[in-house]
Parts: sequence; structure tokens; C-alpha cells
Amino acid sequence: MPQPGETRRKPGWSLARYMGLAVFALVAVTACAALFVRIQSEQDATQAASNDATFAAQKAGGNIQSGLDTIQAVTAPIAADPGTAAVFADPSTCKIGYAPVGPFAEGHIDLIQIDGSVVCSSLKPAAGTASRPYQGQEWLAATSRAIVAPVLDPVTGHQVAVFAYPIAGLGVIAWFVDLAPLGPKLSSEFGSGTHQLEFVMANSHGVVIARSIDPAAWIGQDISGTTFARSAATGLSPDLGGTPRIYGTWSFPDAGWRLYVGADRESALAAGDQLANRDLVIVLAGIGVLLMLGFIIHRRIARPLQQLGLRVRDARPGDSSARTVSGAAEIEALDEDFERLMASVKSQLAERLKSEEAAKVSEHNYRALFEGHPQPMWIYDIETLAFLDVNDATIQTYGYSREEFLAMTVEAIRPPEDVAKFKELVVNPPVADRSGPWRHRYKDGEVSQVLITSHLVRFAGRDARFMMAENLTETQRLETELHQAHARVEAEAELSKMKDELVSMVSHELRTPLASVVGFAELLVSRPVTDGQRKEYLGVMLQEGRRLTALINDFLDLQRIESGRETMRLAPADLGALIERAVVAAGADVTTPIEIKLAPGLPLAMIDGDAIHRVLGNLISNARKYSPAGGRIVIGAGLVAGMVHVYVRDHGLGIPRESVPLLSQKFYRVDTSDRRLIKGTGLGLTISKRIVEAHGGTVEVRSEGLGKGSVFTFTLPIALQRDTSGDVLVVEDDAGFAHLLEAELALKGLTIVWAVDAESAEALSQRHVARAIVLDLLLPGLQGEDFLRRFRAVHGPNVPVVVVTVKSLEPDESLVLQKAGVTAILRKGPGTAKAAAELIVLALVNEPVAV
Amino acid sequence: MTIKPTPSLARVKTVLIADDEPSMRLLVHATIESDEYMVLEAADGDEAWTLIQKFRPALVLLDVQMPGMDGLSLLRAVKADPDLQQTHVILLTAKAQETDVEAGLIGGADFYLTKPFSPLDLLTRVEEALQL
Repeated sequence: MPQPGETRRKPGWSLARYMGLAVFALVAVTACAALFVRIQSEQDATQAASNDATFAAQKAGGNIQSGLDTIQAVTAPIAADPGTAAVFADPSTCKIGYAPVGPFAEGHIDLIQIDGSVVCSSLKPAAGTASRPYQGQEWLAATSRAIVAPVLDPVTGHQVAVFAYPIAGLGVIAWFVDLAPLGPKLSSEFGSGTHQLEFVMANSHGVVIARSIDPAAWIGQDISGTTFARSAATGLSPDLGGTPRIYGTWSFPDAGWRLYVGADRESALAAGDQLANRDLVIVLAGIGVLLMLGFIIHRRIARPLQQLGLRVRDARPGDSSARTVSGAAEIEALDEDFERLMASVKSQLAERLKSEEAAKVSEHNYRALFEGHPQPMWIYDIETLAFLDVNDATIQTYGYSREEFLAMTVEAIRPPEDVAKFKELVVNPPVADRSGPWRHRYKDGEVSQVLITSHLVRFAGRDARFMMAENLTETQRLETELHQAHARVEAEAELSKMKDELVSMVSHELRTPLASVVGFAELLVSRPVTDGQRKEYLGVMLQEGRRLTALINDFLDLQRIESGRETMRLAPADLGALIERAVVAAGADVTTPIEIKLAPGLPLAMIDGDAIHRVLGNLISNARKYSPAGGRIVIGAGLVAGMVHVYVRDHGLGIPRESVPLLSQKFYRVDTSDRRLIKGTGLGLTISKRIVEAHGGTVEVRSEGLGKGSVFTFTLPIALQRDTSGDVLVVEDDAGFAHLLEAELALKGLTIVWAVDAESAEALSQRHVARAIVLDLLLPGLQGEDFLRRFRAVHGPNVPVVVVTVKSLEPDESLVLQKAGVTAILRKGPGTAKAAAELIVLALVNEPVAV
Repeated sequence: MTIKPTPSLARVKTVLIADDEPSMRLLVHATIESDEYMVLEAADGDEAWTLIQKFRPALVLLDVQMPGMDGLSLLRAVKADPDLQQTHVILLTAKAQETDVEAGLIGGADFYLTKPFSPLDLLTRVEEALQL
């Protein structure tokens, strides 16, 4: 049902309207058709009448002509016959009879003398007849056949046509044909039909010879000059009485007559109209049928559709009106479908209403539970960590207002030192958990221990986490502590077990060389020995004693690293320089030459230079030890996936596949007979691995197998932007002093960037020139003086440099330094760092404005 | 393996030193060096077992922790072989635990020395075992 304000689609035409339009079109077309039929039928009727008239004229004309021809054929021989002339001499031999010829039904034939007296006649002589009735008639004097009409026959008193044939010197033989019956005869013979034909014949002077209608009145009338005479030849003309007719004509050239046959135009048109009316009736009947059909369609389809439409429009779910629509089968089916649809909608709507109601109730309940719960509860977005909702208990407990909460992230309620741990958990959170105790910090700074119950939820279309914080009660705290204590005990037991194993291993590793030292010492003390033996024994003692020392050192180092006591002092460092130094430190060996392959553009690594130096030394030493037959050793470094990869490849004994995973175990040594003589503590690789891992890197060992050499690869983090920029560049290999300086400079508000060697310092300066430099002179590779000279050459004289050294400088050495623009030279000792920091601050006060 | 020639190979007794540490072998060898018996050396358990079967030494000095067959396995193998019933075994070990000592003695070893040991003590034990 359309709601107020809802825009309804503009309706199209209704079916009834379409049907009305169709009917209108139909009527219009029909009217046009009727008009056309009428015009056409009029033309057809006129044409038919014309045809009829022409045809009748031909027939009648032919008939008359044939009569004329017969008269000619019969009479001409008689006129020439001597017997005929004899009749003039002896009238008693007269014997003539009249026979109808063609249309000329009545008349008489006479032999007439030139004076006009009748010699012989087909008529019986009538009393009172004049002796010379035809005296003076022009046709008596004709020398050839004469046809004259109309002529009033003085004998019969009829209008006649005279056909006179001269008989030389005697007179004529003449036919007197009655004209009055001619017209009606023609009419009766050729005028049958629908067109009520009129037959009119006139002579060449325009005098009527015959007429089918009212002949007595018209024969002998001169009609020349009448409308008829002027226009009958064109076909359409009023007849002599003024009635419009359509004429056909026929001419008789020898007689000079003309026959007109006229069809009555009115009756012809009436007949045409009749035809047209018949067509119209058919068309109208068709329209009637169509209208009926339209009405039926309207009744059975359009109206039911409209009703159905009304039902649909007025339908309300739950309206169980039994009103149905009756109409065409399809419409009724549609109605039934609609009925079913309504039923379905009704039931679904009822269900939805129910579930919506239930959801509302449920939401209300949860809302109340959330808002009114005495425990702090909140919901935060797991992507942005922003608070999405907090309950009243949270606001009361934590001290922030709701508005403050909604502008904060959940990190803000944790002590800063716990944020990292929290974020670690957020990265890979469980779906639901109960964890703790966590430390939460209130607005007033108080920190409380809480247990957290949490689970993932959808909130306002976001993936969120619901949290409930419980303050640890005394019992819970004790429980938790107990739990933790148990865990600690277990961990300690585990640690203790590991320690036992380690002690056992260490005792074995230490006892063997110790046994040699003590044993040979005892032999030397208790026995007379030769000089050669003494030398040999002492040699072994020395070697085993050194081995003991190395073992103890390695072991202690490892312990320090593993216990976390030895922290890595990370500084951006030029790995290339470090590798070169490690190779130099390893010494030259002709059987195992070392090749360095550095990828171009290697970034600075963030490393503890001493520790990585040791790793490199260990790997080089291993590579050499396990290449007893010699072979090239390659050390390379490159950048792979954001980490620097350093590898040491040898072409020595290689490592059996099954031993690879065991390599980093303490004291593990691959045991094959070919490496029995190779010395080692078995701790080097373990230490290296721990050092690399302390940098966040990994160590990987690969070997194609025994005899095919090995590759040890380790990864190191690269120095980030923040690692390589600071106010003061400290070039110092002594980490302790570097950190002292850092602390002193921090008090002055200055940050440092620390380089453990001059090479790293140069690389750092290429990226970022510090405002000041603290420079140690004694450095692992390139010396401080050389660095200073090169630095000045590249970056100019403006950066203040404070030299700090343990060396006692000769005067000329100091002079060289001062020439290189050194601000001050300090001898390392207590308070040097503080002094250096103050000097730096002083130098920076006069610093030219940084460009 | 080193074989020190003696005047009469057929008659003299043989002693085998089995230890993977060269310095240890040298110490033991120097300690028990004698004209009375021939001294053989093996650098791992497998080599030791080969030599034991070949020379049937009167005494074997076994390092417990060795690559290949370790000392205790060798001890069991010697004691299980009927042909080696006369072979004496002295264990040398860096392991100090009581359990190891017990395992060695239960296994039939004559004696057990823990590193570091006194060479003179070792010599005494060797002479006892060989009943010189």
C-alpha cells in the first residue's frame, strides 16, 4: 500500500482506454472504407449503365441496320423487275403483301405513280381515299432510292419512314414503315434490364424518328437545339423529358439516322447505392462483432484485471477477505496466485514481526545487562583499537568520561610498557578467551590488575571485541599467584633438568681436556722422560689447556646470551667493512682463499658489530676447519625481502643431510672419521645462532651432502630511517662510552646516531649529516683521523667535531687534528662524556642556521 | 691404528686403547707403554670392535663416550662373545654419575676410571688386569 510521500509510478493507459482507442480507429477506418465503397460503387454503377446503354445501342442499331439491309435486298430487285412495270399497265395484277422486316413490324408497300396515285398497295383500298394521296411528295421524283422519315402518311395517318425505290418512267415502289411501334419494340427487345433504357432515333435534321417513351408525342418533333441534342453524344445528358440519362449511340450512315440509347442515371446510381449499402452493412456487422468482442474482453479481462489491481493495492497482510475475481482463466489463475502470495506474505510477515520483536527484546535485555552491569565492559574495534562503547561501570572505574573513551584507543588504558605485549596478542587474537592478570591504568594513573573475559562480536557493522574486566579480588589474586607459582616451579624444574643435562655435557667436555692436562703433568712429574717426550707432552698440555679456556669462554658467552644478560648494542653498521675486517682477522690461508661478494647498494644493517664480527669469525673458522683439502671460501651479502642476508660458502666436507637439524645443538659435532682431527668446542655455531637470533634474524644451513661443501646463511635487520638520523654522530667502537654519551646528550635534548666504525659513519653521513660529531680515534678499521679528513673533504668544515681518545697524542698529531677543524680533543676518563656533551652544546649554540 | 712391534708377537699380550680423543690415546699409550705387551689404538667404537675380533686383546681400555659403538655397547659385545671370555675391560669415562659407574660394573668391566684420572693409577690397574 502506498504510503504518503511515497512516489507512485505514473500509471500507463488502462486496457479499457486502449480498447476504446481501438474501437475509435476501427470506426474511422470503416467510415473511410464506406465512403470509398460508395464513391467506387457510384463509379461502377455509372460505368455499368454506360456499358449497358452502349451495348443496347449496338444491338438495336444492328437490328435496325439489318432491317434496312433486308428492305434493300428485297425491294431493289422488285423495282428492277419488268413484271413490276407491267403492274403499272395492268393494276389488276397487283399483288403485294407487307411482311415485318427486323424492327419494322407494321407498315405497307405501295406502287405509286409519279403523279402520286397508288397503283397497287398491300393495304386494302379504303373508301374515301384520295386518288393521288402522295401527289407532290419529294421522294416521288427521286432517281435513286430515297429514305425519308418521319413522314405523315396521308393514307394511314401514321408517322412513317418511307423507303422509295424508283421504277423508271412509271413511279416508285415505296415502303411505309410505321414509326410509332418502333421505339417500344426496340425497348421491349433490347431494353430489358435494370437500367430502364430509353431509345431515341433522330434523322440528320434533328427530327425525332422514333422514341420508346411516349412515341406519339415525340415523333416529328425537331429537337435540334435542345440540351439533349447537344450533349447526348457525350454520354451523360438529360433526356427529352429532362431525366438524366447515360447514353450510348449508333449511326446509320446511308439513312443519315442516329440512334440514342439512354440508361436512367438515377436508377443506375440507386443500384450502385444498393451495392454500397450492402457492403456497408457487412462492414457494420463486422464492427458490431468486434465491439461485442471488445466488450467481452473488457468484461473478462480488463475489468477483472482492474479488480485484481484494486485487490493488490488494497491488500493488507492479514486481510483474509474472500473476495475473488472472476474473469478469464489466466486472470483467475493470477488471482489464485495472488491469494497464495498474500497468504505466504502474511505468514512470513508474522514470523518477521515475531523475530523482530524477539530481537528488540533481546537487544533491550543485553543493553540493560551491558549498561547496568557492575563489571566494567567495553567494546573496541579490532582494527583501529578505538573504543566503540563503554558501560557505566567502566566510566566509574577508569575515570574517563564516555566522550573521552570514545576518542581513545584501548592502548591508552594500559601502562606504556605493557602495550607491546598487548599488541602482540591483538595481532593473533583468540576468538574468545579469559586471560590475565593484565595491568590496566586508570585516568588518575593508578594501575590495577584485572582479569579479562573477551570475545569477538559484530558491533555497528564493525568487527569488534567485547571485553569485560574483573578486578582481581584477594582470592583471585592469590589463586593467580599460586597458578603462576606453579608455572614458575614447572618452568624451573624444566630449567633445572636442562641445567643438569648441560652440566653433564659440560663436565664431559671439560673433563676430557682436563684429563690430558692433569695426566701428562702427572707423567712428567712422576716419571723420567726423554726431552722429545717432554716436549710432546707439554705440547698436548698447552693445546688442551687452550681448548679448555676456549670452551669455558664459549660456554660463558653462550650462558650470557641465552640468559639475556648480554644485550645486543645495535647500531647502524656498514656490513661490507665488517666482513672485510673479519676476513682480515681470520688471516690469510693459501689453501682456503676467501672471496667477498657484496651486492651493490647494500643498506646499513642494524647490528651489534662485535657480536656479528664474532659470528663471521666463527663461520669462517668452521669453513676452513671443514675444508681440510682446501677450497675457495665465499662470503657474500645481499638484500632479500627487507633483511640483509649474509652467507659463508665453503667447498669442504659438507654436512650429511640428517645432521643439519642437529648442528645448533650444544657440543654437537658431525662425526665422521674424516673430521676426527678437527678441533672445536662444539659451541661456535650455537653461539652464532643465538647472536643472530638476538638481532631478530635466522641462521640457515644448507649442504648438498657429504663432500659437497656447505653454505651457512644468516639474516640481519636493516637500519631504518630513525636508526640513522640524530643530532650528534658518535663514532665510537666502545659501546659503553657511546651509551654514556647518549645519556649525557639526551639531558641536553640531543639525540645521537651511533656508528661503531668509521666506515659506518661515512655511510651514515651520506644519508644524513649530523649537526655535530663525537669521534674516537682508535677504530676497528679506518682510523678516526682518516675519517675526519675524508668527512671534511666531502661535507666541508662547518660541522663541529669533538675528538675523544685513550691515546696520548703527540703535539704534531694534535696539530693535524686542529687543522682538520676539531673543536676539542678529550682524553677518555671519568667525566669525559659529560664534558664532550657540554662542548657539543656550546658548539651548536654558534651553529649556522641549518639549510 | 698404531702397532708397536714387540720381540715375539705370538706370545705377547695385546692391549687395545679405544678413545676418540687423540690426546687421550697419547696419554694412555704413554702411560702403559711396555715391552711386555703390544698396544693397539682405535679412534672409535667400530674400529675398536674390528681390532678386538682380530687380535683378541687381553685388555681393552674403553672410553665410554665414543662415536660409533660407545664403550658400554662394546663392553656388552665383548662379554657376550664366548671367544673373548678372557678379555679384561677397563672403562674410562668423563661421566661422573654413579649410574654410569654401576652400569659399567654390572656390565662386567674390571674397573672404572673417571677423567681426569691418575696415569699411575691407570698403570696399576692395567698391570693388575694383565697379572704381570
